[in-house]
Amino acid sequence: MARLLVELKLRLVANALRSSTAARVSFILSTTFAVLVAIGIFWLLAQLRPLSASVDLTTVIFSIFAIGWLIGPILAFGLDGTLDPATMALYPLRTRPLVIGLLAASAAGAWPVANVLGLLGVTIGLAHGALGVLVALLAVVLQVLFCIVLARFVITSMARLLRSRRGKDLAVFLFVPVFAIFEFLIQVIPRAVSSGSLSPSSFAGVDSWLRWLPPGLAAHAIQDASTGHLADAMARLGLVVAVIIVLGVLWVRSLQRALVTTDTTTGSSRVHNAALPLARFGLRGAVAARFWRYQSRDPASLAYWAIVVVIMFVCSASTIVGPDKHPAVVVASAVFGAAFAGSLHANPVGLTGPAFVLEATALTGRRQLRSYFAGQDFVFGAIAIPLVVGVSFALAALVKDPKEGFVAAAVGLAGLGAALAMSNIFSVALAYPMQKRAGSPLPQQAQGFGGYTVGVQFGTLASVAVAVIPVIILGNLTSNVSPAVRLPVLFGCAAAYGFGLVWLGVRAAAIAAEGKLPELCQVAMRTSL
Amino acid sequence: MGEPAIEVQGLRKSFDKKEAVAGIDLEIAAGSLAGLVGPNGAGKTTSLSMMTGLLRPDAGRIVINGHDVWADPVAAKAVIGVVTAEARLFERLSGEEVLEYAGRLRGLPAVEARSRAAQLLDVLDLTADAKRLVADYSTGMRKKAALGCALIHNPPVLFLDEPLEGVDPISADVIRRLLARLVSTGSTVLFSSHVMELVQQVCDHVSVIDKGKILATGTTDEVRGGKTLQQAFIDLVGPRAKDEEGLSWLGSSSN
Repeated sequence: MARLLVELKLRLVANALRSSTAARVSFILSTTFAVLVAIGIFWLLAQLRPLSASVDLTTVIFSIFAIGWLIGPILAFGLDGTLDPATMALYPLRTRPLVIGLLAASAAGAWPVANVLGLLGVTIGLAHGALGVLVALLAVVLQVLFCIVLARFVITSMARLLRSRRGKDLAVFLFVPVFAIFEFLIQVIPRAVSSGSLSPSSFAGVDSWLRWLPPGLAAHAIQDASTGHLADAMARLGLVVAVIIVLGVLWVRSLQRALVTTDTTTGSSRVHNAALPLARFGLRGAVAARFWRYQSRDPASLAYWAIVVVIMFVCSASTIVGPDKHPAVVVASAVFGAAFAGSLHANPVGLTGPAFVLEATALTGRRQLRSYFAGQDFVFGAIAIPLVVGVSFALAALVKDPKEGFVAAAVGLAGLGAALAMSNIFSVALAYPMQKRAGSPLPQQAQGFGGYTVGVQFGTLASVAVAVIPVIILGNLTSNVSPAVRLPVLFGCAAAYGFGLVWLGVRAAAIAAEGKLPELCQVAMRTSL
Repeated sequence: MGEPAIEVQGLRKSFDKKEAVAGIDLEIAAGSLAGLVGPNGAGKTTSLSMMTGLLRPDAGRIVINGHDVWADPVAAKAVIGVVTAEARLFERLSGEEVLEYAGRLRGLPAVEARSRAAQLLDVLDLTADAKRLVADYSTGMRKKAALGCALIHNPPVLFLDEPLEGVDPISADVIRRLLARLVSTGSTVLFSSHVMELVQQVCDHVSVIDKGKILATGTTDEVRGGKTLQQAFIDLVGPRAKDEEGLSWLGSSSN
């Protein structure tokens, strides 16, 4: 069974590579990144050798790896097709060989191998002597095995949750705190390290409780073996093995339930609204009404807005919690918030899916297409403007410089104009199909379209950053003017400028979409939500 | 034969090296209930997608009620209604909202769209579920809701891709009666299917497609030539079953 599932996984990877150039490029980039991560982690762990807190830091790094394994699939990758229990449900498979097979399949691939190779840096950074190195090899294998079993257990449990619509809706909201933790780890910690507020000495003693978790046990086992306490080392590794076995049993039980649980829809929802709003505004009003309904009823839409708020707070986090206050960071938050508000909504065709065909049959010309984009922008603007402005003021209050909130809000207005304009243009120029992957609550780009997502995000971010420059310059030029005059002028100019950008974006997108509707329909039809 | 509502000439479409539609010609008279039948992968969905402006053809011309679909898509789209095979709708709108939305997309005033939506929901036996989200609809309910969306602007020509696939007999009967009523008023319906009994029962015109080519077209009686449509279809397309001698192990008596 193990061999069969490993072969299946390798075959799926090979078939994906043959399917398109984009998939090949994506695979090469991912593998290259895995190799770089392996080298980087190996180097980082090896550098710990002279430090007194090396075991504490190794514990922290092992723990971060475990968290990465836990949240990575939920955030970005979904469940590997070979590991989805639903695909195995039809076959008469005994649970034990199936679990071993699924574990083996999980361990096959560039990223698990990169993990093992990277973590082997402990043989230089923490282990001493032959015994220490031997225990380090064992500890690394157990650490990676623990990560895999933990991730499989959580994902299998989630796959069960994701079988009903309500469960899927609920799971989307789990994404937001997971995303917030992820952003905190990758944004705030590196900044704290570079500013010196986080150094190796900060971790001294941090493992007083982390040491009792499996990653900490594995790290401390290496140190024990290196200092001649082999019995302690083996006892710690024995505990790790016990945790892996317990998690494995829980995973098996979850898997057994998943294999015999049918896809069900838990109840159904009735809506109370009598009619769609904005009846007086023609096609634009109809489109706006549909998008407005989705903003309140589609959990993914709500999650996207929450992500914008998280991004804005994370951008200013180091200033809010750090000793030095840099109020200008609030402006950066507004820029990022605006850019993500645009980029997260830059693929309405893919996000709508096959239902877009219903809209496409009515989008018969440039005027209708302008109404389509304007209707969307009206809804996104109605939500994004108070959100970005409100969070900007909140951040400014937190950094104790309320005046900066006005500048940030003005920059945010201009940024939103640019972001919505680019979102309209990208929704035609870089439309891509989406898919829901088992284990991942939010829809993601279909395989082979990762480059489109990156292109849209960087394109929107760069465009917004450039577009807000005039407002920032205006803010600086008028910094000595009385606020009573300055702020209304700044706000008015930014709002008018942002509206002008949206106006241009709607027109440009309508012109581009006019000759591309059949292609957009094909993108929509390829979407599977 | 009356004025053609649907005219297709030399329609072609290839995906990479595979020719999905290999130059089809078709003429459906106004007021017909026409069936496009063929085995899986014959090119039915690809042909219907091109006829409705959802997929760009490599070559060929399609005229709907006098409007060239690809030269004058604005006019052509105004006279058609479309139900796609999967009948995917806006999951987070209720049944009544999705029909109203379809009507407003087609330029109907909101009051008129709501009124027509209510009437269609009633005829389609969806009134009790009108306020439920489409996400909670069964396959049959989705097909009926999709049909309602396609009909709300009263199109003279209706295209349906596998309209009764996965639909229970009661819902299928509702859909059949609605289509017959539509055709009796002079509208034209073209639908794809591989259920021969259904096509023979309801269609007055049938076209058989296989490997992207029309093998036969005409009135249902002409195409079936005294046989059942099922038999005529198999005769035209050819049996696909391979020699079964290699399956000596298959069956309860074998071990």
